[in-house]
Formats: sequence, structure tokens, C-alpha cells
Amino acid sequence: MIWTAFTAELRREITQLVRYPTEFLSEAIFIAVVFYGLFLGGSYMAGRGILGSRLSDIIIGYALWTLMLGAIGNMGWGIANEAQNGTLEQVCLAPVRIRTIFALRSLANLVYDLALTGIALILIMLVTHHDIHFSLLELVPVIQAIGVSIGIGYLVASVTILFKRSNQFLNLLQFAVLFLVMTPFTDLPGALKYIAVVVPIGPQMGVLRRLALGQAHFPGEEAWLLLGIVNMLLWIGIGYFVYGAAHDRARGRGALGHY
Amino acid sequence: MNEQGDGRVLLEVDRVRKSYRRRGGGEVSAVCDVSFELKAGRILAFLGPNGAGKTTTIKMIAGLVRMDGGDVRIGGHSIRTAGPAALRQLGAVLEGSRNLYWRLTPIENIEYWAGIRGVPRRRARERGLALLTQCGLEDKAHQTVQQLSRGMQQLVAICASLVHEPRLLLLDEPTLGLDLDAADRIQQIVERLARIENVGILLTTHQMEVAQRLSDEVVLIREGSVILKGATDAVRERLNGDSYAFELGAGLREDQRAYLIGRDATFDSPTTFRLVVRSPEDFYDIVRRLEPCPIIRASRDTADLGTVFRHYVHGEGLEEASS
Repeated sequence: MIWTAFTAELRREITQLVRYPTEFLSEAIFIAVVFYGLFLGGSYMAGRGILGSRLSDIIIGYALWTLMLGAIGNMGWGIANEAQNGTLEQVCLAPVRIRTIFALRSLANLVYDLALTGIALILIMLVTHHDIHFSLLELVPVIQAIGVSIGIGYLVASVTILFKRSNQFLNLLQFAVLFLVMTPFTDLPGALKYIAVVVPIGPQMGVLRRLALGQAHFPGEEAWLLLGIVNMLLWIGIGYFVYGAAHDRARGRGALGHY
Repeated sequence: MNEQGDGRVLLEVDRVRKSYRRRGGGEVSAVCDVSFELKAGRILAFLGPNGAGKTTTIKMIAGLVRMDGGDVRIGGHSIRTAGPAALRQLGAVLEGSRNLYWRLTPIENIEYWAGIRGVPRRRARERGLALLTQCGLEDKAHQTVQQLSRGMQQLVAICASLVHEPRLLLLDEPTLGLDLDAADRIQQIVERLARIENVGILLTTHQMEVAQRLSDEVVLIREGSVILKGATDAVRERLNGDSYAFELGAGLREDQRAYLIGRDATFDSPTTFRLVVRSPEDFYDIVRRLEPCPIIRASRDTADLGTVFRHYVHGEGLEEASS
């Protein structure tokens, strides 16, 4: 049943992508243009062009940030839109747990977001005349970070299912995510660095940063990759649990489906 | 009326209760100890004025609102303790919701709603096309839902709710805001589902003629409590002998019409109406008030459901209902 539900979600996503390609393309162009603005602004402020492998890292960091924001926001946006459009209650009538459906939706959305980010990356490469290089090892923390984002997405969904509005919350979260991406928790001195295990995307960003700077050493880095899995499961677990409680509260208030 | 069905109880609503917290504190009771049953192949009209608790009850049946007490069993499965098993047997078209994705076509919608209910795509497609054909929408299967008329959208929503072959269908105001043709089409489909496919149907509507045409049973709710329930014919016969049909030779004055409306009369035309007469004295009082309008006919009549509804909801029949 879960697989059938997932293919249904994926098909819905792809059908809309194919039916409304201009929306998809304009989103991709928007992402690329914002990056180019940041790129030009950064170059201007730094007084010189951002060159070399650093640019690849910045582009990948930006792509990851975009993917994470997508994964965090999709569930909340989805709930708000479906409550407004009047389809949320029908989704809740499915015999599959609603939390599972939202997880399946996040994965289906991820396919869309990956395609979107892929096109945006190609546009960025064309505009900056720069090829992007990254190692397959970088994909491990990237996938983990997206997993964490789905966990945070559940928290956004919890706010949305109760209040049917999450715009302000999502706006604030953008900066929180930026803070998490930029702060090197794993580089804190002594035992303090283990705070990163519980901070969302703490271990993952540490590994990515060291890989980017060529400071990742094996053996040694595997421990942070494993702690990254712990971090991912922790945040998915917290999100899943909190959403369950919020959903039940909304059912109690009789406010599941509508504004 | 329908005498079909296999006699199995499909839906048991057992003393369900729901209160909501007021903003300023305290609680307001929305539904209070509501109980009724629905058997396979039967249509139950769940009636009541606005704010009576119909939608809250329907949403508790569907598990969308958590009940404070009591239980709902669908095909023997409690919605509280065995939600997925109960929901597999349930389809619903809810009022005030689109129930569909407007950017998808009817067949894509049906495939999607089937998919999240675990129905494989091929089977969903076959059944979806068969359902759309039954509804006369086969040529609309590949247009986006937003291009369809409201009546067609409602038909597609019903098809989507039936794709997993539920045994119980909840229809909340299915003909609200539809033109006559669309409303007729929906009524035909509802009848066919119950009579031929043996689906149990719980219907809410404010259109008494729709409820009267379709329903085998009636449950009437007011202020969260059931005030009347029984077979539709039996409920109508309760007012036999009390209900009169009048035919007049000319139109009424405004004050006469206002008086009759105040008496909950149902007008079939400007010169024909029905109302409940309380006593012989009351009958002559009505006749006097109609002067000088010529009365062509005044005869005892089987009360229609609208008359029954007004009689009980407006309080006059409460004592009889509880007796």
C-alpha cells in the first residue's frame, strides 16, 4: 500500500510538472538569478572574483540550502494550500497514516526539487562559465541533511495544521537554516563539538565543510558520518512525533480541514 | 422505498459526543449522545438545521474530528481503535470542500485518490473509467477538473470517493448549489449505488425533496441531539391526520401569507400549501384567516418531509417525538 501511495504521489507531481512547465522553468530561473545576484554581490564586496574550487563549494552549498528550504517548506505549504483548496480532509481519509503520506509527499517533492535544482545548477554553470565538481562522498551528508530537513518539515507542518498559516514561521526558518549552514558546530573546542550531534544538520555541515576545504581525513571522518545518521534519525523522529501530537490536537479542535 | 439490502449493519454510531472550547472559556456542546445505525443498501437522511451538529457528526464518523465519547463502527471496525480498517470501507464527499485537485483531470484524480488508498493504478483506471461512464462523463475524463462545471466536479468527486469500492458512502450536501439536471443525475447515481451496488449511504441535505425522494430512513438532529429517527414513511405518517393540503381559488394577501409561513406551511405554488393542523378549532381558525380567499379544496394529506422537519425542528413536535 505504501508503494502504491508513493507512486500515486510521484505521478501527481510529475503530471503537474509536465502540464505546467513554465512554472517549473520560472522557478529554476529564479533560483539561478538569485544566486547570480549573490555571486556578483559577493565578488563586488570581496573586491575580486570568486574563483576556483571555492565557487563549486559555494554553488553546492547554495543548491543544498535551496533543497533544504524546499524539503522544510513543502509539507507546511502543502497543508496550507490543501486546507484552503479543500483536499486536505480527503487526504486524511486514506487508510495510510497521514504522517506517512506527508513523508511520501516529501520524497515525491524531492524528485521535483532535485530536477529544479539540477536545471538551476546548469543555468548557474552557463552564466558563471564554471563547471561544478563534487565528490560522490559529498552526497552522503547532503542526503542526510535533506533527511533532517524533512524532520524539520514535520515541525513546520505541525504549526500549519494547528494554525493553517506558516508563512512567517517559514520566513524566520530561512535565516535559521542559513545560520545552521554557516555555523561550524563540529569545530567547537573540546567536548563542545558534540553539541553538533543534536543541532539540526550539525554533523553534516561539518563533514561538507571539511570535504570542501580538503581537511577531511579518513579514518576519522566516518564517525561524523555515522553521527550524521543519528542526527537525521533524531530530527525525523522529533518531527514525526510532534506532528502526530499536533494532528491529534487539530482533530480534537475539529480544525483539521479548514481555515 | 427500498426494501433491499442484506440486513447487515454497516454503520453504528453509538452515543457519540463532542464539545468545543469557547474562546472566552467554558465549553459548548456540539453533539450530545447521538446514536443511529445504517444497513447495507439503505439511504439514511441525516437532517437538521444549520449548526445542529450534522457536519461534526459526519466528521466524527470519518475520523476527521476526535469524539469526546462514544464510538463509531464501520463494518464492525471502530474508527477509534481500528481507523485504517474502518476507513478502507468508507468513501466521503464533504461539503464546502473541492475534494479534488483542480489541475488534474478526472481520471488522474481518481487514480491519485485510489493510489493513496492502496488500489493499484490499472484497477483504479478501469474502475475510474467505468464510474465516469456511468456518470456520463467519459468524454470529460481527460480535461482538467477546473474546466468542468460545478455539477460535473461534484460527480467526479463522487466517482473518486467510490474508486476503492467502499461499503459506506458519506455525502454531505451533495446537491447543494447544483442546477436541476446535475442534482437529478446525482440523485439517480445515489439510488443506483444503494439499490444495485448495496452501498450504505449517509446523506445530509437541506433540500427536503431530495431527502424524501432518496431516503429509507431519517435521523433528525437539533442542537446536537437526535429528536426524531425512523423509516422515512413512518416518520411522515406520524403527522397523518394532522397534515392538510389546501388549494385556493386566488392568491393570498401578504399578511395571510406571512401568517401561514409563521405556521411553517409548505407552499407548492402561490395557491397551494400544506400545513399541520393542531385541532378542529385550529382548522376553523385557519379557514377564517383565509377569508375572503376562495378555498377550492382542503383535505387530509400525508405530510411531506419538509412539513415533518419544520414541525419537529421548530419545537412543536418535540413531545411527540420523545414519546
